[in-house]
Amino acid sequence: MPNVQIGVLSCSGEEMLGGTLARMATRKVMEKLRIGRVVSLCLPLYIAGGEEERNFAKEFPVISVDGCDKSCAKIATLKYSGEVKDTVIISELLGKDVVLSKMVSARDLTDVHYKMVDIIAEEICKKVDAIVAE
Amino acid sequence: MSKIKVVPCSGIGKVFGLMARESALRVTDVLASDICETACLAHIVSGDDEARAKVEGLNCISVDGCPALCAAKSIKASGGIVKAEFRVVDIMKEHRGKNAGDGTALSEEGWIITDDLADRIAAKAIEIAKEVE
Repeated sequence: MPNVQIGVLSCSGEEMLGGTLARMATRKVMEKLRIGRVVSLCLPLYIAGGEEERNFAKEFPVISVDGCDKSCAKIATLKYSGEVKDTVIISELLGKDVVLSKMVSARDLTDVHYKMVDIIAEEICKKVDAIVAE
Repeated sequence: MSKIKVVPCSGIGKVFGLMARESALRVTDVLASDICETACLAHIVSGDDEARAKVEGLNCISVDGCPALCAAKSIKASGGIVKAEFRVVDIMKEHRGKNAGDGTALSEEGWIITDDLADRIAAKAIEIAKEVE
């Protein structure tokens, strides 16, 4: 799939750090690591009936990125577009305690947080590259 | 009394979603933490019983980035009582020409506008809390 675009649907969960990390990692992949290859999909809009987002997810492969094992992004994609090509669940990468810890404002992020974002972004990139290689 | 739920859209595509998210966090963490808390919008809209219980029958304030109003609509669909709706696009009309940043990071101007929005949300929350006392 050399020219395919890949959608990344991130949870952005507001109650915990995992949502912030999911969001930041997705943005990093889209803006810096896989420019032009990855499109971020807005989860609230997707669920609220955004036709553009849902149609994209029906036509192109989607990777869901969830902060915790509630897997809201994955569940939404399965419900409205039928298939999730791959998933990233951050609690499995960084541990539940980290992911479920208190959400942090973007102005209070530390190097530790940015390193976590890098780990998640790298995982998303692996999944993107695997889909492209198919 | 249950805390007022302040639920932002957190839309990932534009700066407005980040402003909604950060303003809500400032309210629930700093300005009105004694009367407000947030809830994961993605979980609310997933529709499971646990998620519905987070807002059903409770006073809520929605903070949406764009006119799609995903947060407000989703709270209402889950049985939440939306006592006030804030839209970042409306606040931005008062700051025409200002560069607020992007979906990844807010600019200095973006933070000022976001903090202003947070002040307004907190003031509204205090008003709502007094009403229901």
